[in-house]
Amino acid sequence: MDPIEKTLATAERAWRAHGVGRADREALAADLRLDLESAAADGVGPAQLLGEDVPGFARRLADEAGVQRRAPELRRLLGTALVGVALGAAAGFGVFLGLYRLMTVLFDQPRGLDTPVQVEVALYYGFPAAFVVLGAVATVRIHLRELPRIRATANAMALLLPLTGIVITPVTMAFAWTTGYSTSAPAVFAEVLIVLAALAGATVLARHWALREPAGQGEPAAA
Amino acid sequence: MIANGGDDAERQTQLLRGALDMCLLALLAREPAHGYELVRRVEAAGFDAVGYGTVYPLLTRMRRLGLVADEMQASPAGPARKVYAVTDAGRSRLLAWHQQWTRFVGVVDALMPNAVPDSPRS
Repeated sequence: MDPIEKTLATAERAWRAHGVGRADREALAADLRLDLESAAADGVGPAQLLGEDVPGFARRLADEAGVQRRAPELRRLLGTALVGVALGAAAGFGVFLGLYRLMTVLFDQPRGLDTPVQVEVALYYGFPAAFVVLGAVATVRIHLRELPRIRATANAMALLLPLTGIVITPVTMAFAWTTGYSTSAPAVFAEVLIVLAALAGATVLARHWALREPAGQGEPAAA
Repeated sequence: MIANGGDDAERQTQLLRGALDMCLLALLAREPAHGYELVRRVEAAGFDAVGYGTVYPLLTRMRRLGLVADEMQASPAGPARKVYAVTDAGRSRLLAWHQQWTRFVGVVDALMPNAVPDSPRS
């Protein structure tokens, strides 16, 4: 690959990771290309000009150009969402216990009245699951309110987390079946891990979805 | 080269950090230049520890602040180049920075007499 193209590709990756928007990346790259080509015409290659730390240079350049960053902040997002999941699970469990008597009355029905098992399962499992989703979404929305596009992120989470729950539940049940529905600590830990991994994936996807840039949007700050 | 040794180089870097933008503006005020050319001028002025990786982002910041403006110029040899020149706002800022620098150096110089031991005599 041409050294200039290679350098620009490295810078592009650094800018993406730094949360620089597409329009700004294009403007920065166009200017940098001109300068690198000027230097190359004088016999100085990008490596000689920039040294080895091209990503560091790219980040400094973006910061000095004053571009608006749209950093994913995935670590903070996932940590906050996990706290929200824990809060939601605790709240859901508490409310579930509180309503247990009511649920018992509702579903200890007179003989002859047959409630579909799907409805019972949906209520028993869906109720706490709704609290988990609500906890994660609300915690992210409130605690990370200073992040750009957090509202869109929370909205995307509100859509993707339930869908993920619907998909991952049978997967987890299939895993439990392979262990003979074991209640041993490793088996339960693995099942929890499967669910959390799926929810984390959905959260990351929601963030990227919220930060996506439709073509033609955004004004270059560095032009 | 101005700085020799690790400590000297570090101190030189620290001193330059507060004055490099002024030096770049001064160099561009003499004659417009493209980014890489400006790095060469900085080196020729005696700051050879300042690389392109430092100068170019700073130049970008000065453009954002309206202290320099750029325009494309055809080159007799090689590709077209984006040439940077100091704006009126940049000249005003350069004048203010230089006055501030002169006052600063004056204060430092005033502290030096009788504070620095005489050089060893041979």
